[in-house]
Amino acid sequence: MSSLALNRIDTPPADTERWVLPSGQSDEAVNRIVSAPLLQPHKWTWRAWWIAFAVSGAMTVMMIVSASWLLIRGVGVWGNNTTVVWGFGIANYVWWIGIGNAGTLISSMLLLMRQHWRASINRFAEAMTLFAASIAGLFPILHLGRPLYFYWLTPYPNTMLLWPQWRSALIWDFWAILSYLLFSIVFWYVGLIPDFATLRDRARSNLPRKVYGALALGWRGSARHWHFYEIYHKAMAALAVPLVVSLHSVVGLDFAASLMPGWAETIFPPYFVVGAMYSGFAMVVVLAALVRWGFRMQAIITVSHFDVMAKVMLMASIVMGLSYATEWFDAWYGGDHAERSLVTFMFTGSYAPIYFVMLFCNVLAPQAFWLPAVRRSVFAVFVIAVIINVGMWLERILIILNTLSHTHLPSMRHLFFPTIWDWTLLFGSLGFFTFMFLIFVRLVPSVSMHEVRHILHEGAQR
Amino acid sequence: MSSVTPKQKAAALSTVELDRRAALKLLASGMALSLASCGKPPEEIVPYVDQPERLVPGIPLKFATTLDMAGYGRGVIAISVEGRPIKVEGNPRHPASLGATDVFAEASVLTLYDPDRSKAPRGPKGIASWDAFGDALRTQMEKEKTRAGAGLRLVSGRITSPTLLRQIDGLLKQFPQARWYRYEPVSDDNERDGAIMAFGRPLTPLPRIGEAAVILSLNADFLGSGPHQIANGRAFASARKADAGAEQFLRLYVAEPVLSLTGANADHWLAIRPELIRNIALTVAATLRGEKANAPLPPEAEHFAAAAAADLKSKAGKAIVMAGRAQPAELHALCHTINNMLHAPVDLIEPVDPAGKHGEALHAFADDLSNSRIETLLILDANPAYDAPRELGFKAGFPKLPFSAHLGLYDDETAAICHWHLPLSHTLESWSDLRAFDGTASIVQPLIRPLYDTRSMHQVLALLGGALSPVSYDLVRETWQPRGGDDFDSWWRQVLHDGVIAQTRHAAVSAQPRTIAIKPAASPAESVLVLAPDPSIWDGRHANNAWLQECPKPLSKETWGNTLSVSSRDAQQLRCATGDVITLKYKDVSVEAVVRVTANQAGGAYATTLGYGRRKAGAIGDGAGFDVYPLRGIDEPWLMSGVTIAKTGKTRDIPTTQGQFRLEGETTQFLPRVSLAALAAGLKGPPFEEGPKPTLYPPVQNDDPYAWAMVIDTAACIGCNACLVACQAENNVPVVGPDQILRSRVMHWLRVDTYTDANGGIQGFQPVPCMHCEHAPCEPVCPVAASVHDREGLNVQVYNRCIGTRFCQSNCPYKVRRFNWFGYADDEEYANLGEPPIKAQHNPDVTVRGRGVMEKCTYCVQRISRARRNAEKENRTIKEGEVVTACQAACPTRAISFGNLKDARAHVNALRKEKRHYELLGHLGTRPRTTYLARLINPNPDFGEAKS
Amino acid sequence: MIVLLAEFTRPEALMRAARQTQNAGDKVLDAFTPFPVAGMAELLGARSTRLRAVMFAGGIAIALGAIGTEYFSAMLDYPINSGGRPLNSWPAFMLFPFAIGIFAAAVSGFIALMAETGLPRLHHPLFAVEGFERASQSRFLLAIEVVRFEKGPADAEERLRNAGALSVREVEA
Repeated sequence: MSSLALNRIDTPPADTERWVLPSGQSDEAVNRIVSAPLLQPHKWTWRAWWIAFAVSGAMTVMMIVSASWLLIRGVGVWGNNTTVVWGFGIANYVWWIGIGNAGTLISSMLLLMRQHWRASINRFAEAMTLFAASIAGLFPILHLGRPLYFYWLTPYPNTMLLWPQWRSALIWDFWAILSYLLFSIVFWYVGLIPDFATLRDRARSNLPRKVYGALALGWRGSARHWHFYEIYHKAMAALAVPLVVSLHSVVGLDFAASLMPGWAETIFPPYFVVGAMYSGFAMVVVLAALVRWGFRMQAIITVSHFDVMAKVMLMASIVMGLSYATEWFDAWYGGDHAERSLVTFMFTGSYAPIYFVMLFCNVLAPQAFWLPAVRRSVFAVFVIAVIINVGMWLERILIILNTLSHTHLPSMRHLFFPTIWDWTLLFGSLGFFTFMFLIFVRLVPSVSMHEVRHILHEGAQR
Repeated sequence: MSSVTPKQKAAALSTVELDRRAALKLLASGMALSLASCGKPPEEIVPYVDQPERLVPGIPLKFATTLDMAGYGRGVIAISVEGRPIKVEGNPRHPASLGATDVFAEASVLTLYDPDRSKAPRGPKGIASWDAFGDALRTQMEKEKTRAGAGLRLVSGRITSPTLLRQIDGLLKQFPQARWYRYEPVSDDNERDGAIMAFGRPLTPLPRIGEAAVILSLNADFLGSGPHQIANGRAFASARKADAGAEQFLRLYVAEPVLSLTGANADHWLAIRPELIRNIALTVAATLRGEKANAPLPPEAEHFAAAAAADLKSKAGKAIVMAGRAQPAELHALCHTINNMLHAPVDLIEPVDPAGKHGEALHAFADDLSNSRIETLLILDANPAYDAPRELGFKAGFPKLPFSAHLGLYDDETAAICHWHLPLSHTLESWSDLRAFDGTASIVQPLIRPLYDTRSMHQVLALLGGALSPVSYDLVRETWQPRGGDDFDSWWRQVLHDGVIAQTRHAAVSAQPRTIAIKPAASPAESVLVLAPDPSIWDGRHANNAWLQECPKPLSKETWGNTLSVSSRDAQQLRCATGDVITLKYKDVSVEAVVRVTANQAGGAYATTLGYGRRKAGAIGDGAGFDVYPLRGIDEPWLMSGVTIAKTGKTRDIPTTQGQFRLEGETTQFLPRVSLAALAAGLKGPPFEEGPKPTLYPPVQNDDPYAWAMVIDTAACIGCNACLVACQAENNVPVVGPDQILRSRVMHWLRVDTYTDANGGIQGFQPVPCMHCEHAPCEPVCPVAASVHDREGLNVQVYNRCIGTRFCQSNCPYKVRRFNWFGYADDEEYANLGEPPIKAQHNPDVTVRGRGVMEKCTYCVQRISRARRNAEKENRTIKEGEVVTACQAACPTRAISFGNLKDARAHVNALRKEKRHYELLGHLGTRPRTTYLARLINPNPDFGEAKS
Repeated sequence: MIVLLAEFTRPEALMRAARQTQNAGDKVLDAFTPFPVAGMAELLGARSTRLRAVMFAGGIAIALGAIGTEYFSAMLDYPINSGGRPLNSWPAFMLFPFAIGIFAAAVSGFIALMAETGLPRLHHPLFAVEGFERASQSRFLLAIEVVRFEKGPADAEERLRNAGALSVREVEA
């Protein structure tokens, strides 16, 4: 196209160079790279996508079967017992909601910090947030003894003349998740409107034009639109940060607002927030690598992105390590017998091997990021990110198992053994997540075009 | 892969295919549906309290009756609602109950409604009628008449019922050649022979434990389950009252091969080979005579014996020595001599069970069988095919019998090889009479018409005698006519009302024991197997009772089976660990058993309990545990020396309810043990003398007149589990089954924790119901306000509001809440426990909980509210002692007290001021309403380093 | 009146043209760009918006409502003793209003945004203008109204071309 030559940015500034490769340094190039998979699918080979779709679809079916059996036979099909009343259900919830944090963090916190590189990753990161958060929301309901009554957590006029018990961390949870999920949807959609307009205007065939047209709400990119749009977007970002922090603090309070050794610790809320960012970032890296490879976006998602995200994870891993150390120190320094014997149990008890694996995944493995070579190898970053995700799940399950199994009274100390239904639901949810993400990339631009265009020119202006 | 399914599925299937058993089950269902309508028996039975004009729906009636425990009577008050007995409690007037119960009494109501009970006679050609049996019997008895009953044999367990004895006596007069064989698998032959050796006649010793200051138990488990348990337990606790003073406070020495409940309550406990125990007795005897003992003992045992002997001697007149049923007759005789030297507080009475040696009966029976002298065999509520020693050769003998009939509650192993099986009426369904271990007689009055087409033993014996339609009621009254005198009816009413017949206790006789010389035992080379009745199912007769099967054994907390306990020393040599399946071989018989390794056992001694491995017990009892009866010999029922163990390589999980047993360091605060000296000196430091923890919350004020609280005296608790089963019966607590127990899921609202100290010795027993904390951690975490506090300080669970987040239990430091993982009482019951008859036992005042809801101890809120209703009718407040929780009522040692803190005179207030008072995990600031008194121990100061 | 629509390839050119137009006394109507062009809105004299105020108000209102619900239910309608905590455990009551308040702010903000921008409006005459679709992709369009007639549109068009417009065309207003 001749236009390409015309609107190339003559003097690409170094800063932009890092985030967008020359081959992507034109508005048109950005539009083409991002919209092609959506508007010219026929020009694309979808083999890998179909395989992934089939596999994740099968896993989704597995999740449905597992959940149905759970509802038919009762929560007793899980491995939970009289002492360890919580198990995979809660661990999965905490893990997913943690992943569900990163998207908003990237799109809001980094926005407020003027981290322009976020433009290339925030879109699918937010999508990830939505899917992860909604899956997270399922688990607390599935784990109930009587799931059909979960709505009793909402204050509504009822024949029993009863109200929710507002002191319960579960109530805070319920509303935090709900608000967060709906908030993220609004945030995400508003960010999409200009891109929908672009797709509307690029669409050759009729149906996409109509659909994207409707979704674009008639966006014309007028100066006034942009004016209010930016004001709203920044305000939302400013709101998102406290919301997301409070959300995971509340998750931390589920445990901290208790009497159990290893749970009743003031460090929990911040420690959970960091953990959430940590696992979330790791998941973003995994998805970024896949999107980049799947849609040939090397031009827009550059090695520098992985480099900087690796640095963030390195930081988080150090904070996590400090948090663990703080737990151990407090237990020893506090001198409370229950706390001390719990820490002993962590290192020497029946779950000790898992605990060591967890420490390796969350604290040790990421130290490789000190080496620039590792940070700049997409594959290496990808692998370590997967390891971190595994480690973070292990952390969640251990927080529950260690404390509950090693309860105050020795007579009631029992171990937890998962059943097939615990596993199928966990892996099923992973499949379901992938399933939804695969559908997302076929329907919605997975990179925010208008923001990438913007940084191109902002760079130019500087 | 759900946890409970396999067994449940099996149960479900077996009800689908319509075999005879299934047909009977359906029949049962039909009958059970009409249970509500089926009421009191036709004859007049007399309520314990003044009976209202007519039965008021919902108002429970209480009747005094008697339950049998291995043939001895145990008086109880049975509670009946709309004509259905749903609970039994102790009868304070009865010497074997003293107002308390044991696990077997509590569980008897479940047996009454057991769907597996046989419901109609079975003849050689399948289901038959009593008439058919009557005809068959009559023709048979005609033959017997002609030969004076030469072919007639009666086989039964222990019989103390005056009426039954009268009837049997009559029969034997009528048929001089007939024979009656009486045997119990748990026999007391050694004790009996020992008495004969010592006194020349079979006198029964009744130690007055309450008066004792020192007791040396030589393998005698007098606190373990059995007909004496309640009485002994009460006496034991009263002899160890904190205020007794060092002189009078009972000190208990126990020497035994395997830790027993008695051993667990000892101040000094010695693990020793059973054969060597006689040497301890010899040492004691010698010391008392001032001679030098020449009975070799291991140093530890020698030290023990010396200390015990000295202590006994110093406390002469208040010192008792007891020998166990497993010990040889000579030892019993020797103990009589020693007690005589000590002027021990022991009564001697004529035997309550008149029949002779169990062993002899079995020999004679075997002899008759092998020489086919038996034409007409009647087995009265006994199960020889299962529990008699193999050398009797039943399998061979029975088929040859011309006529054999079995009378029993279940169509069991013996019934299977008899021509006729006759369904027996449950004790709560029939008139009879029984004697307690001390001879006290009492009437058995039925609470309900027989649910099925059953007969009592009286009726069957009368049939034998030729009666056409005998009525137990008349037979029993006949027996007592002479005693009742002219105004018999008022006497009868009185007797029924009281539940005991006055002045029927056997009077103590005085007898001088002759001294018999017995040789000391050389230390044995071979390993020995030590058998004992099972604390949950006794000799196996209770095997089909789900409550008892799931009742954790006091010391090991095993459920649903037995294990072979092996001392840790032997375990090391054999390289076997808990859970290994091994083959236990004795002579030519071998049995597969699961090993449990324990520190509290003498090396070279293996131990297990009787009653398991039933083959035809029913849906509950079949297949649980392993059967050791085949190893038993007629003349060596308890100790089998020369057993060998071989590993099979297989392992099996043992369903136990308790996770860890050891208390060390600071955790000993959970169940502190204090000596009398320490108590006198005053108890300092945690967990004692800790005021209420500081709190940021304003105190909750209310003008309610009640603040309920419970205090549990761990010094009195002997760990008998009566409270646990009582709670289950009172509160419709479901049974979960072995598979669920293996998944660490339990439902018992009240558990009895058993801890060992750092040396493996027993730290004590700790019943743990809900603590009803004033600052309950479970309440603020519940999102739907299902766990809330009421004005009287109860922590209540609102079942229909609960959505099952389980946050409450995860935040409960005591882990006393119980979650319905499945519909344990809600269409997903274990085995056949969902069948209609069971539902008839449910307490109508207590909700049956559904799937997915949390439940827990309520302080028997239904009893509180009944008391409140009664009080409000008379517009007054509830008086002290008006509310008695189920666990409190059951406790033989009165370890549990319950009352109103706002009543200054309430007993609990006094107990809470005691020095021994402490809160479990009180440092967490939960402010529990259930609190404890520390365990008291009384070790011998001159003993040297403490052994227990 | 005459409305001219000029097409640029660079935001800088767009801005230059807009300023010149204003200096020349003509009126800049609006600009249509693929991303926000710094300074454009100010040049158009975009008034400071009440959008944030609306968000704040909406959030606070719902949060207060939530606190009210909690207070009413826990203190007046259904007062229960829960673990000996005070009926009004206000610290524990704060999280629900906080979360739901922020969500409410987001929603009220979105409504305000729609009101301010006049969206959704699926059809608009501009969409009919040839080449307008590039405004959402890579072209920067400037719409001006020619006010000074003595020199006629030619002059304005001239000015725009000099500023770097690819094309200038007259559109129906």
